[in-house]
Amino acid sequence: MPAWAIAVAALVLGPALGPGYLLTYDMVWVPDLALRPDFLGLGSALPRAVPSDAVVAVLDEVLPGMLLQKVVLVGALVVGGLGAARLAGRATAARLVAVGVYVWSPYVVERLWIGHWPLLLCWAVLPWLVAEGIRLRADPRIGAALPFLLLAGSLSANAGLMAATALLAVGATRATVPRLLGLVVAANAPWVVAGLLHLDTATSNAAGAVFGLDAEGPLPAPLAALTLGGIWNAEVVPSSRELLVLPLVLTLSYAALAAIGARPLARRLGGRVTIALVGLWAAGYLVAVLSWASPDTVGWLAGHVPGGGLLRDGTRSLALCAPLTAALVAAGVQRCVEWCAHRAAKLLVMAAGALLPLAFMPDAAWGIGGRLEPADYPAAWAAARATLGDGRADLLVLPFTSYRAPAWNHDGKVLDPLPRYLRPDYVVNDQLVVDGRVIAGEDPRVPDVLAALALPDADDRAAALAQLGIGAVVRDRTVPTTRASDAAVGGTAVFDGGGLDVVVLDAPVHERQVPAGWLVALGLAWAAFLGLAGFGVWNGGRAISSRMRTRPGPG
Amino acid sequence: MQAFLITFASVVVGGGLAGATVIGLVNSQTAPPDKSPANVSNPVLEYGVTQ
Repeated sequence: MPAWAIAVAALVLGPALGPGYLLTYDMVWVPDLALRPDFLGLGSALPRAVPSDAVVAVLDEVLPGMLLQKVVLVGALVVGGLGAARLAGRATAARLVAVGVYVWSPYVVERLWIGHWPLLLCWAVLPWLVAEGIRLRADPRIGAALPFLLLAGSLSANAGLMAATALLAVGATRATVPRLLGLVVAANAPWVVAGLLHLDTATSNAAGAVFGLDAEGPLPAPLAALTLGGIWNAEVVPSSRELLVLPLVLTLSYAALAAIGARPLARRLGGRVTIALVGLWAAGYLVAVLSWASPDTVGWLAGHVPGGGLLRDGTRSLALCAPLTAALVAAGVQRCVEWCAHRAAKLLVMAAGALLPLAFMPDAAWGIGGRLEPADYPAAWAAARATLGDGRADLLVLPFTSYRAPAWNHDGKVLDPLPRYLRPDYVVNDQLVVDGRVIAGEDPRVPDVLAALALPDADDRAAALAQLGIGAVVRDRTVPTTRASDAAVGGTAVFDGGGLDVVVLDAPVHERQVPAGWLVALGLAWAAFLGLAGFGVWNGGRAISSRMRTRPGPG
Repeated sequence: MQAFLITFASVVVGGGLAGATVIGLVNSQTAPPDKSPANVSNPVLEYGVTQ
């Protein structure tokens, strides 16, 4: 089974596994991400990349960023596939089908294309969390892998909520609830505490309702969601999803196989676990459909309730539907195999079941038809990084816009990688443009930076930016720009080459002060997160030594 | 039942091949140029577009 999971993962990723960095939309990996205070949750913006950026910054001290990215992407797809196979039972046909359905899904392809790798890690650990929950119902001892599964599945807010929900829904009993709650709180503490500290900016623009579940071509949104598709951004939807016949037949096939497999699956898993899986599926599907059926409600929640923005990209929640979908389809194919009398027919049905998802979304193969192509950073970036060093105060990258499509990245869209490539904390424009409309971000410094850039004199701009805590400005001259998002800034030029120039501001910088209470609160949150990792190591070591003691000796 | 399942399995495999052919054809006929001309009046890149 691992060979099939690896083969499917390799076929999905294709050229993305080659040398270079896969930079696509929100997926930004750099050679050596420097750990900086903002990655811990101390920045002025709502901490969207806590704790994922900090975890990567630490891990890439062990593995280079390029290799770490490959390990994360391949690991997520293989682990997810194997987890689905485990949930599908012992029959080979069911396990093969579960791998295909789980990995070769619109959810994986679309989230991979848009670069939401922490979400993919959560998706990958969900079947394992379900399996661990099932085990916990019989044996309430914390398994060796559970702390690491939770940590890997909780690298962003949405991911952490889904991982916690899955584990508690399946594994919570009177005996396990206190310990599971402790583990879940520790795994999610960094983003929860950082979010609470930014409560005044924790509401999002109500126009963010555009991020809800959407139709895929002629396929209506609720049907698209049944096969785990329907992402808001039509740019990252594979072409095959926009032909009515392929996704429609796939949906009908999944529905028929799920109906056939429902009873045997429920018998094997038992009533309590089945109810939990159905509950997870319903929760994931309803959140997604709500974002389509009532975008104004979701927009209002995002705009008025702190944390309500977690609901606005509604299809993220479809990860909760994935374990049951894969298990049901796998059980359905297994039942069909059992109905066949001849070996050749059994093999044909098994092969068709395993290839079903691939056949109806063939363009997902080979990195979505070659679109997931890695790139190398320009040499000038390394020179600018060395010159700037840790800098003083924060960094501003101009043009002050969020996304780029550099020629060296094969003209592929990506969140500007330059701030992460360099070492200092940074302020970036978190406004997003969707369908030609600007959706405001949450960082209170962004309007102030735009106002500073609008001043008529370069020295005045420098003074105003310094008052905002900015000590240096890097300009990428290869990026198309406007006067509103770019302007000369007075200061000392310290680097100029390869399309980049770096100016250190001469004006006295008003450095951001972090309240002591923030440091204490985030210190405790990170201590809990690291404590969970430490507990995982200790617990794993204890489990290994216990197994070695109980292994019968040679005599 | 077995005959139905074999037919369905054949349809899956055949459908996949047909689908791949259609998608390849449509993509080759409708793909945008390698480098789209820059929009001089509004160079700010969109994060995405809805349907």
